[in-house]
Amino acid sequence: MNGALFMHLWRANRGRLLFVSVALLGWGTVLPVIYDAFGAQFRQLFESGAIPSQFAEFGGGDIFSLSGSVAVGFIHPIAVSLSLVFAVGFAAAAIAGERQRGTLEVLLSRPVSRRVIYGTMAVATALFVATTTGALTIGALLGATLTDRTAELGAGNLPLLWLNGVLLFGAFGAVSLAASASFDRLTPAVGVALAFVLGSYFLEVLGSLWPDAAGLQPYSLFHYLDAQADLAGLPAARDFAILGAVIAAAVAYALVIFPRRDLAAPA
Amino acid sequence: MALACVAMEAIETRGLTKDYGARRPALRSSRAAAPPALADLDIAVHAGEIFGFLGPNGAGKSTTIRLLLGFLHPTAGGATVLGRDIGHDSVGIRREIGYLPGGIAFWDGLTGERVLDELAALSGRPSVLRATLLDRLELSAATLRRPVRDYSRGMRQKVGIIQALQHDPELAILDEPSEGLDPLMQRAFYEILDERRAAGRTIFFSSHVLSEVERVCDRVAIVRAGRLVALEDVHSLLARRKRDVELRTDGPLPDLTAVPGLSDSHTWPDGHLSARLEGDVGPFLAAIASAQVTDLTIEPARLEDAFLELYEPA
Repeated sequence: MNGALFMHLWRANRGRLLFVSVALLGWGTVLPVIYDAFGAQFRQLFESGAIPSQFAEFGGGDIFSLSGSVAVGFIHPIAVSLSLVFAVGFAAAAIAGERQRGTLEVLLSRPVSRRVIYGTMAVATALFVATTTGALTIGALLGATLTDRTAELGAGNLPLLWLNGVLLFGAFGAVSLAASASFDRLTPAVGVALAFVLGSYFLEVLGSLWPDAAGLQPYSLFHYLDAQADLAGLPAARDFAILGAVIAAAVAYALVIFPRRDLAAPA
Repeated sequence: MALACVAMEAIETRGLTKDYGARRPALRSSRAAAPPALADLDIAVHAGEIFGFLGPNGAGKSTTIRLLLGFLHPTAGGATVLGRDIGHDSVGIRREIGYLPGGIAFWDGLTGERVLDELAALSGRPSVLRATLLDRLELSAATLRRPVRDYSRGMRQKVGIIQALQHDPELAILDEPSEGLDPLMQRAFYEILDERRAAGRTIFFSSHVLSEVERVCDRVAIVRAGRLVALEDVHSLLARRKRDVELRTDGPLPDLTAVPGLSDSHTWPDGHLSARLEGDVGPFLAAIASAQVTDLTIEPARLEDAFLELYEPA
């Protein structure tokens, strides 16, 4: 970890971090409010059979409870897209983007090892992901407070949900950063990272909506974000361990591959 | 200990080789005829000198610099920079040096001042020379407060030079340093290099501008297709090169057969001689002293010609 590099990354990203955090805070706040306002109508709608029951299980929970609604909100495309601004957008560009722009040359000519550069960017990614996920989590608490449903939410277990979210988006960040350390250009790094996230999302959604494809869900990292279990205070240690293992594997890969790479002169 | 420091070479390479295809046999077979980017480079850059590193595009200059900085890993051989091994102490090397990449890029959203501050912070050494360099290269405080994206190429190059030298490095490695500088700024830059040399610092720079190499360098190395073809001091290189000589006399031409270094001689009945002369001009002048010389042209020795001679097909 290099303090000067970290401060450089912080200054370059703090505006974007504020914007994304405020957006996720708003999104998190809206979820309990929507549930409070329309939860009963949603239940009637599903019970009428107008909408297939599988849609009620999207996100790994029922949407007829506050915790289920929050769970859906965590992997709703809006929340995922905002969270990926840093988990993929920042992480995939961190090294490959600097390399493509030619600024990695200037960084690498300083007395900072490649492992330290990678480590600093990994710490920055973790911090940004933790902040945005924290904003989403705080938003859920704020919404529950506004609708006077704090007890129903299980607010004391929100840190578990936050940790689970950080591990999920942290895993995407670690994979994106590993891709970034592997390529000289931004496009393939972002492509690999996005393909991984979209593939993972597709498997989870497919398994949610189509029972025959449920067996594919364990191959999706989203499957290991169990917001309802977290809010119930019953997190699956296996979920945390798998996400942690993905992060560890991606970090180990990058720490091996990045220092060994030949960085030829930019074309 | 002090003696050891004085004797230490700033840069020393031993059989330094880089073959980009060596680690990928499939690629290697498809490029069977491609030579290594750098082969068996042996050079020693003395502490306190300005060393020019010349060669056309693709000759191996940037590869050499990137090997010295640890951006590339050698296929064979090795090198030391300021006594540190490039394979084992790359960070230590970069703590002691300043580097100007060719076509340097910055974070365009930052001001020039912020770029210099952040790069100084990353270097971990105080910017003792910044004020002087800003003054010499005529970069004003107002200019430094503007985003780098608004800078011209020349202004970017000035910032690049300053970031490489502001912490007064023991060794500066400069890749095409005068690119984009106008003639006045080039002159100011050469003076800065002279001052750094006078302060005991070492400058290693690659360039295509042979006149500037001739102007500032003590010694030069010339690489061609990844191989070293010349390594000597500039004056020796110039002295060795063949210069065109034109002589006109009023009367018979003197006997020049014994003049050392004279070749490609052509004579005409009207007392006209053209030839090529290598080395010291003294014997030639002595040989024609008794003749009635009406015109004599000895082309000045220029590094460009020496360079081109070395690049003539074998």
